[in-house]
Amino acid sequence: MNNYQLMISVDDKQVVLERILQVTRYRGFLINGMNAKVNTGTKIGTIELMVSSERPIELLVDQINKLIDIKEVKVDHTAMQ
Amino acid sequence: MTTTEKKLTGASLLFNVLEQHGVEHVFGYPGGAIMPIYDALYDSGVEHFLCRHEQGAAFSAVGYARASGKVGVCLATSGPGATNLITGLADALADSIPVVAITGQVATAAMGSDAFQEIDIFGLSLACTKHSFQVTNIDDLADVLHQAFAIALEGRQGPVLVDIPKDIQIAAVNGSVDDLVNLQNKVKLPPANVGNALALLNQAKKPILYVGGGVGMANAIDELRDFAKITGLPCVSTLKGLGAIDPEDKYYMGMLGMHGTKASNLAVQECDLLIAVGARFDDRVTGKLNEFAPNAKVIHFDIDTAEINKRRVADASILGDLKVNLPALAIPLSIEPWKAFCLQMNADYAWDYNHPGETIFAPAVLKEISDKMPKNSCVTTDVGQHQMWAAQHMVFDDPSNFLTSAGMGTMGFGIPAAVGAQVSRPTNCIIAISGDGSFMMNVQELSTIKRFQLPVKIVLIDNAKLGMVRQWQDLFFNGRLSETDLADNPDFIMLANAFDIKAQMITKKSEVSAAIEEMLEHDGPYLLQVKIDAQDNVWPLVPPNTANDKMMEST
Repeated sequence: MNNYQLMISVDDKQVVLERILQVTRYRGFLINGMNAKVNTGTKIGTIELMVSSERPIELLVDQINKLIDIKEVKVDHTAMQ
Repeated sequence: MTTTEKKLTGASLLFNVLEQHGVEHVFGYPGGAIMPIYDALYDSGVEHFLCRHEQGAAFSAVGYARASGKVGVCLATSGPGATNLITGLADALADSIPVVAITGQVATAAMGSDAFQEIDIFGLSLACTKHSFQVTNIDDLADVLHQAFAIALEGRQGPVLVDIPKDIQIAAVNGSVDDLVNLQNKVKLPPANVGNALALLNQAKKPILYVGGGVGMANAIDELRDFAKITGLPCVSTLKGLGAIDPEDKYYMGMLGMHGTKASNLAVQECDLLIAVGARFDDRVTGKLNEFAPNAKVIHFDIDTAEINKRRVADASILGDLKVNLPALAIPLSIEPWKAFCLQMNADYAWDYNHPGETIFAPAVLKEISDKMPKNSCVTTDVGQHQMWAAQHMVFDDPSNFLTSAGMGTMGFGIPAAVGAQVSRPTNCIIAISGDGSFMMNVQELSTIKRFQLPVKIVLIDNAKLGMVRQWQDLFFNGRLSETDLADNPDFIMLANAFDIKAQMITKKSEVSAAIEEMLEHDGPYLLQVKIDAQDNVWPLVPPNTANDKMMEST
């Protein structure tokens, strides 16, 4: 099982967090931890997602990127050391 | 404003926006929480087709979209109306079909209170739509509806749901409706670098073109055919890709995969370069994935970044619009020995329609319908043996002329999809190929055919079985025939007649030709029930989790 940490930047739109969690589960990743907050000024949300899976993280990054309200998805390689 | 003038409401705004997007026809079913929208429909220029189940409305919208290239639109009320749409939306998601679904919702004040006919369709939509919205402010409604159409059509197409609470439907719109501005396509991909792909193509001695449904969705049929002609590549098609390749192309080897032709599967297993175009290495295509095209490098063309390396690593990926990217790789190739080998396989493994006895042979019936149907006919299918026989033995010159539930494999698709296709193409012959299992799954849509006098032709391949499951039970479950006997089917002729649909049953080969001609010449809707032997199987068959060159064949 590989552990990964994602930094996801989103537009603060309806159910964006639910969409990310649904895709993460469906694509075969376990959620081990999460931090989420919204900048009410910019209306941009930031989500840190700690996940684990046998599958390569690129599969999940590509699927999260397909969601309409996503601005950016980064894999935090330093956090995985 | 005088007292007689009606202020624009959310419900009437909906139809204004639909008309801005060129929507002429919608499919739906009214109910409590969508009544203001149906009231506004009364005054609108949009034509509504009342289906007899919301699933029928969703599939009709899918059939409409697939047959016409336009966005299909369906309407349903809250609760059960909305949940009944879900199968159709899932089908549209799996096959990347642009559909906009509008659902009524209980009033915002009642939401979250387990109100009558309340369901969280917004939550349910997450897994079965490309995107979804719930409108909680009347000022957002127009923008949300415009976004719904943009998202349905941009990049890889798909279904979008807009849930509109009843109080938003009756709320007064502030200001006027803005003119439609050009929709921004959010999907922006960097220009493709084709250098690596060109090198792979030049080095290959046994390359093959693997064509998927993305070609038709990208409206890149001409570009694909030019590409095939210039390169001279042998080519194979997925189920959803059927019709994209020129059927006259002598290097076309047919469908690949579980029920693909022997020639196409052997060629793909043998190739040294697989050029996937708008295809996604689906499990029904690849068989055992790690033994699929084991010696091939892969060039993958797609609009969807997430399809690259999802099931098979690409040696070169070309992301973006096929219309732009295919010509960049169209170079003549020196692969004559390979082409000769593929031609020989086409000859060696051609379909054999010799069939002893008087019992009707479904593949021969479907081939004869294909030969006799007028040009630009559109065929829909349900799911099962008849679907695979149609894919194998009918010839299509455009993907919009063959509508089948490919990704989701949804029984009950064929009849309502034919309704949608006939509405979008009133002058074309629309033929629904169904099976006796699938037919009963949306049989209520015969009433829609009757209501609108749609001249849909239905060919019911009847073995009084759930034939494909029965075939698998015989082959892979020791003949333990569990719940696949349908000997108690209704009298289909009497059933069709109850909906004012002319019908005929045939049981012998000698009756086939005249029956097909009568059906095709009949002005109105027609049902042709074709009785076949319950033991007939679909061949070839690649067993599950098996390499595609280890197919089972007729014994």
